[in-house]
Amino acid sequence: MADPSTCLLELRGICKSFGGIQALRGVDFTLHEGEIHVLLGENGAGKSTLIKIIGGVHQPDAGEIRIGNVPVRIPNVRAAERLGIRIIHQELVLAPNLSIAENLFLGREPCRFGFLDRGRMFRDAERLKTELDLPEIGDVRTPVGQLSVARQQLVEIARALTGALRILVLDEPTASLSEAETEALFAKLRRLRSQGVGIIYISHRLEDIERIAERITVLRDGRSIGTQRAGNLDVPQLMTWIAGREVKDRYPRPVYQPGEVILSVRNLQAPGVHNVSFDVREGEVLGFAGLVGAGRTELARALVGLSPIYGGEVLLNGRPLRLRSPGDARRAGIVLVPEDRKREGLILTQTVGFNLALPWTRLWARGIVPNYTRRTAIIRNAIRNFSIHPGNPNQSVASLSGGNQQKVVVAKWMEQPPRVLILDEPTRGVDVGAREDMFTIIGQLVTQRMAVLLISSDLPEVMNLSHRLALYRDGRIVQEGPAANFTPEAVMMELTGAASKGKMAQ
Amino acid sequence: MRNAEHGNRTSKGTLALSGWRQLIATLVSAAQGLLPLLLAIAVLLVLFSLWVPQGRFLRFDNLIDLAQQVSVNAILAFGLTLVILIGGIDLSVGAVVAVAGVVSVSLLTPAGPVVAFLGGIGIGALFGLFNGLFAARTLMPPFIITLATMLVARGFALGFNESRPLPVGEEQHLFLSLGNARWWGWLPMPVILMLVVFVFSTILLHGTRFGQHLFAIGGNREAARLAGIAIATHEVLVYVFCGACAGLAGMIHASQLYSAEPAAGQGYELSAIAAVVLGGTSFSGGVGSVPGTLVGAIIIGILDKGLNQAGVHFSLQYIVKGGVILAAVWYDVFRRRVKSRQA
Repeated sequence: MADPSTCLLELRGICKSFGGIQALRGVDFTLHEGEIHVLLGENGAGKSTLIKIIGGVHQPDAGEIRIGNVPVRIPNVRAAERLGIRIIHQELVLAPNLSIAENLFLGREPCRFGFLDRGRMFRDAERLKTELDLPEIGDVRTPVGQLSVARQQLVEIARALTGALRILVLDEPTASLSEAETEALFAKLRRLRSQGVGIIYISHRLEDIERIAERITVLRDGRSIGTQRAGNLDVPQLMTWIAGREVKDRYPRPVYQPGEVILSVRNLQAPGVHNVSFDVREGEVLGFAGLVGAGRTELARALVGLSPIYGGEVLLNGRPLRLRSPGDARRAGIVLVPEDRKREGLILTQTVGFNLALPWTRLWARGIVPNYTRRTAIIRNAIRNFSIHPGNPNQSVASLSGGNQQKVVVAKWMEQPPRVLILDEPTRGVDVGAREDMFTIIGQLVTQRMAVLLISSDLPEVMNLSHRLALYRDGRIVQEGPAANFTPEAVMMELTGAASKGKMAQ
Repeated sequence: MRNAEHGNRTSKGTLALSGWRQLIATLVSAAQGLLPLLLAIAVLLVLFSLWVPQGRFLRFDNLIDLAQQVSVNAILAFGLTLVILIGGIDLSVGAVVAVAGVVSVSLLTPAGPVVAFLGGIGIGALFGLFNGLFAARTLMPPFIITLATMLVARGFALGFNESRPLPVGEEQHLFLSLGNARWWGWLPMPVILMLVVFVFSTILLHGTRFGQHLFAIGGNREAARLAGIAIATHEVLVYVFCGACAGLAGMIHASQLYSAEPAAGQGYELSAIAAVVLGGTSFSGGVGSVPGTLVGAIIIGILDKGLNQAGVHFSLQYIVKGGVILAAVWYDVFRRRVKSRQA
């Protein structure tokens, strides 16, 4: 391992504001050679701005950047690349219409006399694949849009690893990865570390941090609050730093007082769903654990009428349902809080109030003159009951933090609560405080006799919040039972064992 | 700038060969996507050869005539392909056809044919520059920007000679040859110019790093930006190219008419867009090809000429063309959905 005392990157007093909003107010940060340094902080704490400054996307208003003890300016992305800085962004930034090879060399395509040298590009991509030991990427001529999210992530990683690499920044890389894929990523990071690469790793997941970090720095409100060594980690203090207040139990399991069976699914056949059967009771959380791509979202889509049902039955209170549209599902009392809230859960260009009132137009917009009193009441209730912050109904929903956006997506259904609520990855990209709020909300809904189907790829989360657990693989439930009967190891065995078999089959 | 790092490693001969081979392979695979359209051309040719009286349709001179009529629309459509590929649109090309004609013809007598030619291309490129700068530097949608420049360009063309046509003098042989000369007695000059633009834009889009970046910008702007691609520069250049194509088309058009008409080119932008879309370029960007656009332009040309010669009433011609475009794009969308579902 490289000498950890060698300082690779040093940031001093970095400030940055956008149109009067101060995003960074003096951040200090150091990264050593051969170190994995985790950067923690809520959404809006300034992490993304900071890494964009390191990557040459933004310029700091004040402060100093030193690389290997030499002051540098990083005026653009190319300059950052020349300094050996690579960034893997939180949202996948690949061109879906281009092939893997074309994406790998995007912006630095091999050329000859100004003409693109595709032959060389494909050969180099193949070589790179072997060198980086990423055979699972597949044929380099495949368009990226046809790959699973996890494989796209591998392409991003491969792209970051081309050329001379000194500093690697990963922004929440495991958000969409399954456990096995996360472990594979960590193995790669450890190998890079042993080659002397300095790694900045941004994550919300404590599990990640405990596994790979050497040091942890917390950002809050654009300032660096403190740094801890992983050797003597003080989790409660870390949480206090992040939230600016004390944080309680990590997973408060909702009270379990199951009532009647409310939703029964019998031999359901739908796109990506093969012969799925289960029951869920009032006041029960049924967790769906599985790898990314196991087909849980497909099940959710079928249950709310977003994809056609080929066979089997869905019964509500014993009565069979016809689910041909989300309208059918909603009238029956089944609603979905989708995985991608920005695209499917919210009208981002509109206000908080607009989004909250949208499902209830039949209550407040009957006849010719809308009943604005009613509308205001609906919005106020939602904001109050779900402590949406800031609570201004006229504020653009896009300006809210991820956690509060998620609250809006849940709250908008609750004027007349549904019978069955499906939550698809409800805590993805949500900060620690809002995550806790989300857990509390699930607890409240359960005490109101609602049935919750919780889909989550975060294993500790789904195991601790659910009353019963269904292990999901390849569009099927492979095992089901009370959550207390499962150990994390057993669940992992079931899911990752299936994963390696699945990969070989491909 | 070429990338020296990549250029020096292997022996040059094999490199060049494999590069060209790959370009051809890319075009062949693009052509496979065009097979249904090529089939459609064959069906249309057979249909009109039977329908048009006395088998006139498939005669050599008739087909040459067809190629000549396709040329102006095809040149406009090649420029537009690049614009639409990066997720833009240029509605001003029809009006720019008129402006370029008026400007170049009015330059003919005082400044000579070379200056007139450069002036025609230049005024088109200038409108393109204007469109491109607005599209790249502001948040205005290109649809609105180019709708505005369309009106501006049309007004400019009309105001130039108080709405009267500018005749091209009989002595302007060079300029008149743009639209009317026939090489070896049979190959029309517009077709040659069209083929030159075709080859140039095919290589530009499918064979250069610049073109590769256009695909990236159209597919995912953010990805292109974060890969260090100068998006604004690319965008401006694409609109400039599109404007220059419109300028060239305008001069050919004026030459064919022996006169620069201020009202020329009305609705040409729509025919050109139709050709681009028929050729499989996606309006959401990132998918498309120049050869596809050529095929699209040919189909529209065959429909125009065939229906005309078959004696179909012009009102019905519009309806048929609209139906064909709708059906073709519907099929394309359907095919793409099936393909992505298989993946």
